[in-house]
Amino acid sequence: MNHEATNPFKRLVKLAARAFYDDISTKGDNQPKTGRSDNRGLVVVVLDALTRRQWAREEDLAKELKLHSKQLRRTLRFLEEEKMVSRDHRKETAKGAKMYNAAIAATTDGQQNGKEHEEKIKLHTHSYCCLDYAQIYDVVRYRIHRLRKKIKDELEDKNTVQEYICPNCGKRYNALDALRLVSMDDEDFHCESCNAALVAESDKLAAQDIGDGDDNARRRRREKLKDMLQKMEIQLKPLTEQLNRVKDLPVPEYRGLQAWEAQASASARATHDDANGSDSFKSAQGQGFGGTPMPYFGETKVEVSIYGLEPKEEDAKSNNASTPMKVLPPWMIKQGMVLTSEQRGEVKQEMKMEGSSTKTEILDDKKSSDEYLKAYYAAVYKMQQERAVQSQQESSNAENVNNGDSSTSNRVVGMKSKRQDDDGDDDVDWEEVPTAGNATENFKVNDLNVQAAASDIDEDDVDWEEG
Amino acid sequence: MFFHIVLERNMQLHPRHFGPHLRDKLVAKLMRDVEGTCSGRHGFVVAITGVEDIGKGLIREGTGFVTFPVKYQCVVFRPFKGEILEAVVTMVNKMGFFAEAGPVQIFVSNHLIPDDMEFQSGDMPNYTTSDGSVKIQRDSEVRLKIIGTRVDATEIFCIGTIKDDFLGVINDPGAAA
Ligand SMILES: [Zn+2]
Repeated sequence: MNHEATNPFKRLVKLAARAFYDDISTKGDNQPKTGRSDNRGLVVVVLDALTRRQWAREEDLAKELKLHSKQLRRTLRFLEEEKMVSRDHRKETAKGAKMYNAAIAATTDGQQNGKEHEEKIKLHTHSYCCLDYAQIYDVVRYRIHRLRKKIKDELEDKNTVQEYICPNCGKRYNALDALRLVSMDDEDFHCESCNAALVAESDKLAAQDIGDGDDNARRRRREKLKDMLQKMEIQLKPLTEQLNRVKDLPVPEYRGLQAWEAQASASARATHDDANGSDSFKSAQGQGFGGTPMPYFGETKVEVSIYGLEPKEEDAKSNNASTPMKVLPPWMIKQGMVLTSEQRGEVKQEMKMEGSSTKTEILDDKKSSDEYLKAYYAAVYKMQQERAVQSQQESSNAENVNNGDSSTSNRVVGMKSKRQDDDGDDDVDWEEVPTAGNATENFKVNDLNVQAAASDIDEDDVDWEEG
Repeated sequence: MFFHIVLERNMQLHPRHFGPHLRDKLVAKLMRDVEGTCSGRHGFVVAITGVEDIGKGLIREGTGFVTFPVKYQCVVFRPFKGEILEAVVTMVNKMGFFAEAGPVQIFVSNHLIPDDMEFQSGDMPNYTTSDGSVKIQRDSEVRLKIIGTRVDATEIFCIGTIKDDFLGVINDPGAAA
């Protein structure tokens, strides 16, 4: 579900990275421009890495990308200015670090690694970063709009300052000099030095000897501009197509760091209780690469499909005797007893209903978990309502639970997603783990005049000191 | 664009003004000196709205004049590139037309006037569409967009365009500011 929702946005980021940031190098001003310090393409690598994460701690990211943290920070600051990335900084206590680790564990493989954990409990400022997909969508559209507008305006001579030439002495003026050039005697502009009537630069009839060459240059320039516009449209086509594709999709949102953490850890606890969850935990442990914990690496995410939100899953569950899921009433009762006291305490504290997780089901697929978080919270609410209904039903009919709200129509779909869950996890996980840089696909948009794009953006900055 | 800002100025006051009305004299002189002037940095000072602080006067050696540092609030008008303004046409020629928006002069060159408007010379030079429905001449009111500013220390001059959506003659006289 969220796979489809996030992936087009990830692709959008990857395309935009290649179109606009391919040959951007983020360099300190004091660094010499030697070949060795040339870090063009770094921005693309960082953006790609971020598509595989949600909120990432910057020092961890640096480690994983094998970058110097300063270098990464510079890149991220650049991306923040470009409105691609949102960042959060905070002074962290041990508790804060724990929170984050719990959250990250929840969104990766559902378990925490103790060693990694302890390493991180330090008392200084940490920075976090995350892609802001909603904003990226707007920024990319705006950027393309400005690119197009700039070239078109230039083609149509819009917003260009008219130049004037003295046919007599060749002195050039422009429209900003107009006030000085106007004379009260007639309606012409006059040269300040020789008082001859000026001609507009494009007016080739009058200023033949001077104007002709210029006019040719002008025509050539127009052709070049047209060419450029055409090339731009072709080269940006994958990007614009992706923008259209993404247009009506819900934007993956990770909100603030705090909110994200709270939700991620809350849902982690819920999944711990899951009877089905233990299976996927085992398979997920394979990710660790023999003791090297890789939180957030690859796209392996946990998704919980919840009874009530997706009746089809529940239906498959309750009708399929071979799965650990059983008909609800006895199972619910069992669950209540099986729960260890700490688990029960946790869950109770978290959402005041220990039975809720009995209906959660883990699909250990390569899916990102933001949608899952949303869905989870929506479902918790729904379940509370449904539990009320169920308890009524239980009193009258202890065996039959699913009569009312779970339809049988989607049964096949539910089964299918189950099977995918079973055979999909191991190989998919391993496949996704490789390094950040080369997980990129060949989205390469041909070279683009990024310089022009960059200068275009701040072209309209008001400048008090201008002129 | 208008701004309400605080500016500072050192005022020199002749000793003959020293007396019970010194402050009033100082403020009156400030208004005379400042209102209507233009600085490249802040734009045109439209009006002084209040005096925040008058510092201790300092007698200048040799002259007897006293210098007071004065802090005052004022409304300034500063045109910006990209800003849309409504202006009154003051002069039309074959190169384009000049217009005024308050204290600011704006020139619109003929290539930034829509292509369907032709220059007509005569007593009342103007730009007119072929069907005569739209006419720009002296005293017409136009809405224009500033595309460039020339800012000197004491002067601001703008060039504008009416070659864009919703720009050009404002037909409804009531709409003109
Ligand atoms: Zn000349």
